Amino acid sequence: MASSQTGIGASGLSRLRSVIPFSNRDWGLLLVIPGVVLFSSFMLYPIFYLFYISLTNATFAGSVIGGGAELIGFENYVELFGDAQFWTSMSTTWLFVAVSLVIKVFVAVGIALLLNHARVLGKRYMRAAVIVPLGFPGIFTITVWRGMFSDARYGVFNTILGRYNGFMSSLSAPEILLFDVPIGFLSGRWEAFFAYVTTEVWLAYPFMVIIIVSALQDVPRELHEAAMVDGAGFLQRFRTVTLPAIKGPVLFASILTGATAFQQFLIPWVFNEGGPARQNELIIVYGYREAISFNEFGLSAAILIVAIAFIGLFMYVAVRYGGLAEGVGDS
Amino acid sequence: MSALGSVLALIRAKLIAFATAPQRFVVTIQRAIYDVRTGKRTPWDVAKSVLMTALGLSMVLVLLFPLFWIFTASLAEGTRLFNTSGIFPEPSAYNLEAYRWVLFESDFFFVEGDWGYPQLVIGGGGGLVPLSFRWAGTETGPGALFNSLYLVSVTIVAGFGMIVPAAYAFSRRSFIGRKRILYGYVLFTQIGAGLSIATLVALYSLFSTYGLTNNLFVLGLFYAAGTIPFNTWLLKTYMDNIPVSYEEAAMVDGASFLETIREIIIPLTKPGLAVVLIFVWLAGWNEFIIAQTLLSPENYPLSVELYNLATEGRFSTPWTRFAAFANLFALPVAIVYFAAQRSVEDGLSFGGMEG
Repeated sequence: MASSQTGIGASGLSRLRSVIPFSNRDWGLLLVIPGVVLFSSFMLYPIFYLFYISLTNATFAGSVIGGGAELIGFENYVELFGDAQFWTSMSTTWLFVAVSLVIKVFVAVGIALLLNHARVLGKRYMRAAVIVPLGFPGIFTITVWRGMFSDARYGVFNTILGRYNGFMSSLSAPEILLFDVPIGFLSGRWEAFFAYVTTEVWLAYPFMVIIIVSALQDVPRELHEAAMVDGAGFLQRFRTVTLPAIKGPVLFASILTGATAFQQFLIPWVFNEGGPARQNELIIVYGYREAISFNEFGLSAAILIVAIAFIGLFMYVAVRYGGLAEGVGDS
Repeated sequence: MSALGSVLALIRAKLIAFATAPQRFVVTIQRAIYDVRTGKRTPWDVAKSVLMTALGLSMVLVLLFPLFWIFTASLAEGTRLFNTSGIFPEPSAYNLEAYRWVLFESDFFFVEGDWGYPQLVIGGGGGLVPLSFRWAGTETGPGALFNSLYLVSVTIVAGFGMIVPAAYAFSRRSFIGRKRILYGYVLFTQIGAGLSIATLVALYSLFSTYGLTNNLFVLGLFYAAGTIPFNTWLLKTYMDNIPVSYEEAAMVDGASFLETIREIIIPLTKPGLAVVLIFVWLAGWNEFIIAQTLLSPENYPLSVELYNLATEGRFSTPWTRFAAFANLFALPVAIVYFAAQRSVEDGLSFGGMEG
């Protein structure tokens, strides 16, 4: 009796084993699952929930929780694509990404070349100093930059421009080279945009410099020396030796910093809340604003879902063309 | 603990290298003078080096100007910053008043600067352990620093507990779904704070539904969740560089599985663990938008207090106090960060960067 029972049990267990595709060598999965569960419950689940909210007419958090909201299909998206503010925000965001990216690449390549130059003494210390911005919290550095761009007559940049004006007029330079101080950096549309771009470049260049420097250091010295012996000038050497070496890393860093620029929230929010008159609301600020200030949770969710779709596109491109997932295959 | 130890060792090495830098600089100059005298180098050749160095140095100064400005500002409580006399405060007006304000009057250590000390109470608690902590000598309770430390501890413990085993499994084991999960993680590696703000609307609704708002523990778990993809991938790539043959050799010599972990994997991944520690710490230490939305004022961590200080008045940030607060807030992180700078650079330029 007992033996037959165990027989059934054992065969049942083995049948179960054959059904579940899990064998002893798969125990590594158990080490991974806690992280996957935590990540999914705090990151993936909210994204799905956000999509659900975007299909309802929820107006504030209470209406989502209390069940007062009704499913209205894709009406929020229809409303969104007819909203002029959405298109202003979208175009400003893309302009911000594009302009800051171009400047970032030039600034970072310049810094990396200079701090990798054979004639610069103490370049290791300079490199350490130059990536300092990466080590400070964003709220700190961004608020400091707001102080630099202060509208006040004696704000930091306005003072510097005033000194410059004084210097230039002492040389009796023509009027056109002078600045009309004080500049309202945060109260004009393009002035504020300029301030955003400057700060974004300052925040993102250290990452690019790190990546470009490590690419430059992999270029064998012999290549440069051979090119020099052949009589190649600086520009020619840059084009034929340096550029091929840093092209890949620069592209990779561009995609990643481009993705962070697209998600930029703190700079516009701390500077002037996407102002003046909502003209500089980058996409995440726009979505946040709609929810927090105007109690339009449904619409806000739709905006943020569109933003997340673009971020996903960035990541797909990065993985696809940036070779980010190269190590996935091997074990 | 081992990660902390290696961070401390890195700090020491950095300090020694930094302290001996002037000596090396003098030697370089002496050699240059010698080379010119003996005709090995022309003066023009030396001048070119000096010019390039000066160019690099001035570039560094321009780039770090904002940080220098805010540091001097923190030393000038009581003077008006934006006035006719210039950008920087008068050196004669330097004082530590702002730091005194942060330590003894703000909510940095204790609410309203009301200092106290922890006291172990025997018999209290009411839980399984008849011991509890109490803040003696203070009526208002511990301040933002303790909220921050609690938050970061949860983030670090939860994050490490999930990142390290998973990285090991990804690096050394093959199991079903491995590729798929890893690919999913890679997709999320570089998603920054923007995504958390994007999901804030949903998060707030969800947390309210489940009654999880104003809970530092849950918030710490949330930050840990955000750090998992990037850091797991980072540590996995790090472990991939340790030859498997080391473990095989140890196994042949009769080491058990746990012994190979303790004797080979942990010691050789120490720099990687240090970097992960820094990144996980920063994730919990710096975030404030979500903390501000989900927490009530008595639970605000330092980052939210700093933000509130920065936006106290729409156009009038109390610059000196803000600067002093921010310096105390950012300094520990910055020190550790630059001590482990080499490892951080390696960590940041991982994967696909060589091509």
